Amino acid sequence: MSIRPLLFVGIVVAVMVVFAACQSRDAKTADWTEQEIAVLRSLSLDSLQALPPDPSNAVADDVPARRFGERLFFEPRLSVNNGISCATCHQPIRYFSDGLPRGQAIGTSERNTPSIIGTAYSPWMYWDGRRDSQWSQALSPLEDPNEQASNRIRIVRQIANDPSYREQYEALFGTLPAIDDRERFPDIAGAAVGEEWRAAWSSMTEEDRRAVNRAFSNIGKAIAAFERSIMPSVSRFDKYVAGLSDNDPAAATLLTTDEIFGLRLFIGKANCTQCHNGPLLTNHEFHNTGVLSSPGELPDIGRAAGVREVIKNPFNCGGHYSDDPERRCSELEFVRTGPELIGAVRTPSLRNVEFTAPYMHKGQIATLAEVLLHYNEAPDSMIGHNEAKPLDLSGRELRQLEAFLRTLGGQADSYQSESM
Amino acid sequence: MKWTSIRFLVVLSLSVLLPQVVAAHGGVVEEDDLCVIKVSYLRAHFKVYQPRVSGHEQFCEDLPIASESVFVMEYLHDSLATMPIDFRIIRDVTGKGRFARMEDIEKIDDLDSATVFYQAATIEQDVFTVIHDFADEGDFIGIVSATQPDTKKVYAAVFPFEVGFTGFGYWPLFVAALIVLQLQYLLMSGRFKRWFSRQRSAVLAALCGCFVLLAPVDTIVAEEAELRVTYSTPSGPLEINRIHSWVLHVESNEGLPVENAQISVEGGMPEHDHGLPTRPRVTEELGGGDYRLEGMRFHMRGYWEIVVTVVTDRGSTVIIIPLQL
Repeated sequence: MSIRPLLFVGIVVAVMVVFAACQSRDAKTADWTEQEIAVLRSLSLDSLQALPPDPSNAVADDVPARRFGERLFFEPRLSVNNGISCATCHQPIRYFSDGLPRGQAIGTSERNTPSIIGTAYSPWMYWDGRRDSQWSQALSPLEDPNEQASNRIRIVRQIANDPSYREQYEALFGTLPAIDDRERFPDIAGAAVGEEWRAAWSSMTEEDRRAVNRAFSNIGKAIAAFERSIMPSVSRFDKYVAGLSDNDPAAATLLTTDEIFGLRLFIGKANCTQCHNGPLLTNHEFHNTGVLSSPGELPDIGRAAGVREVIKNPFNCGGHYSDDPERRCSELEFVRTGPELIGAVRTPSLRNVEFTAPYMHKGQIATLAEVLLHYNEAPDSMIGHNEAKPLDLSGRELRQLEAFLRTLGGQADSYQSESM
Repeated sequence: MKWTSIRFLVVLSLSVLLPQVVAAHGGVVEEDDLCVIKVSYLRAHFKVYQPRVSGHEQFCEDLPIASESVFVMEYLHDSLATMPIDFRIIRDVTGKGRFARMEDIEKIDDLDSATVFYQAATIEQDVFTVIHDFADEGDFIGIVSATQPDTKKVYAAVFPFEVGFTGFGYWPLFVAALIVLQLQYLLMSGRFKRWFSRQRSAVLAALCGCFVLLAPVDTIVAEEAELRVTYSTPSGPLEINRIHSWVLHVESNEGLPVENAQISVEGGMPEHDHGLPTRPRVTEELGGGDYRLEGMRFHMRGYWEIVVTVVTDRGSTVIIIPLQL
């Protein structure tokens, strides 16, 4: 009988102790160890090194080329219906993405439109890495039947026939090849690369094909010169890390308690930095994470097919159209192939991730919360092998992780515009 | 009389036109919890998904409802990656149900009208997948044929399955009998007792903490190797996500440089079950036991092991370089 009040008091005291412990844990969130601060710094934009040169593109860092490339990037006449430019899918205001599961241009793109921000640092382009430079990537949508659906002869002719473009081109790359002769350089009515195009192309001489390819690759190199300037801008997370490094007490207030807990999970228990590491929050590598196939489609082969394509692509780093006489192509030369790449796709940057939904290579997952649930479960992959392991995070932890991911946003259209 | 002779002619012409199907006893079986399709002796991991209704759940043969279904064959036998494979699903018109075999399929007069899905032969280098949206539930038969490109021999697997599978037939009884037999075996053989005592000692050891303290630290030293390998990185300290070169220095235990060695390098993260993201190679012997190793790149922080195999005329030595990034 007398034991009951005692028990009650005991329970109350226990609850208070636990509560106090939680409170003090909250207060200590900002206590990072030196080692943790080093990890945080490695993820901060302040650690982003100078952009490495791209010797395969002689005009990569050339200002007039960037100016020319910027015009081309926004030029809808480079598409078969004069209505689709690079910027149709890579919209500056949407962090150079489009907010759709897949790009919508002439048709529907094969995969989700990735952001261009910071891709100049990546050795591989596309979800499956089927191109190895920004300039060779820029050429593909121009001829993709679902994207701009044009072809290289038509595009080179358009540049040649527009006095202002012609002037910009020739100032950078010298005289355009004379391709007026419709016998030697056929006009393809259907435009996009298909059967008719292939037949016409193979009827041309090797020399003429090379002349067109050279001019076409130059157009890609100008677009790449512009794309190289598209860099991430400072996020709340970066400011927080800068404050921590300077021992600025105001820094602690830049992130909420939940966001700081989320950050702890991000660099710890949630294993995110295994792939989302470095200041761009990507390792630029290919991983199978067991994402479900898209409705009505087969599971995506991913990198296993992409690596075969980049090796045989005539515009790759080792190809005829590279500007590097020494063909320094370590990434291509030492590239890994093999069955572990089945179903693997490129790790996307997490910068601005809050604003680049939907997610995954086919835009299969609509929200960040669902993406985190997927990684928490890490189900077996439909094809190949899921490299991720189940995380066993609680609902609260998942919400904290999501809160942290929302601190990674910067300004949308942060690039150096050369146009007035 | 006339009818019979026409049929005879059809069968005869078919048997001439169609390549001979050899070893037609392939099918889908479960082996060690893995669903395996045997296309004759060629084996592949077989699984079916209904991603729209059951997400990542795998099925071996029978499918719960009529829905979009993705059939996956992951080759366990490499030669399947070079063979044209075709895939057909028919309604079960054989009347043989679960016991339908290739012989029964060959007897079907009009295979096309029974066919609900057909994918013509294609070579898939990585993994073979097909997708079919079943309109109706019912009994079906899958037929997979792979053609050996040189000999033109055709290998086939036939697997009857049900869509809208709800019943379990005699399976529960069979499983129960297996469990009883296994338990009986464990009890009689004394294995269970041994297992129990082992568990108990392990638990006790863990509880008193000695287990953890006494466990040997897993360091990797190439003590038995006759060679020593060290590395340096001319481009500065190691960092992730940047391709770079190493200089490997190989010397004997006496400190003499090892020259003219054939060196190959692999590596990976043992805790994460994956290798290096690149395929590095020794590209140049620099003299004095130094070798240039190009194409090194790490894409994650953590514990890596670089496995260096050095082949000299005295034999082959494997040395593991542990790295904490």
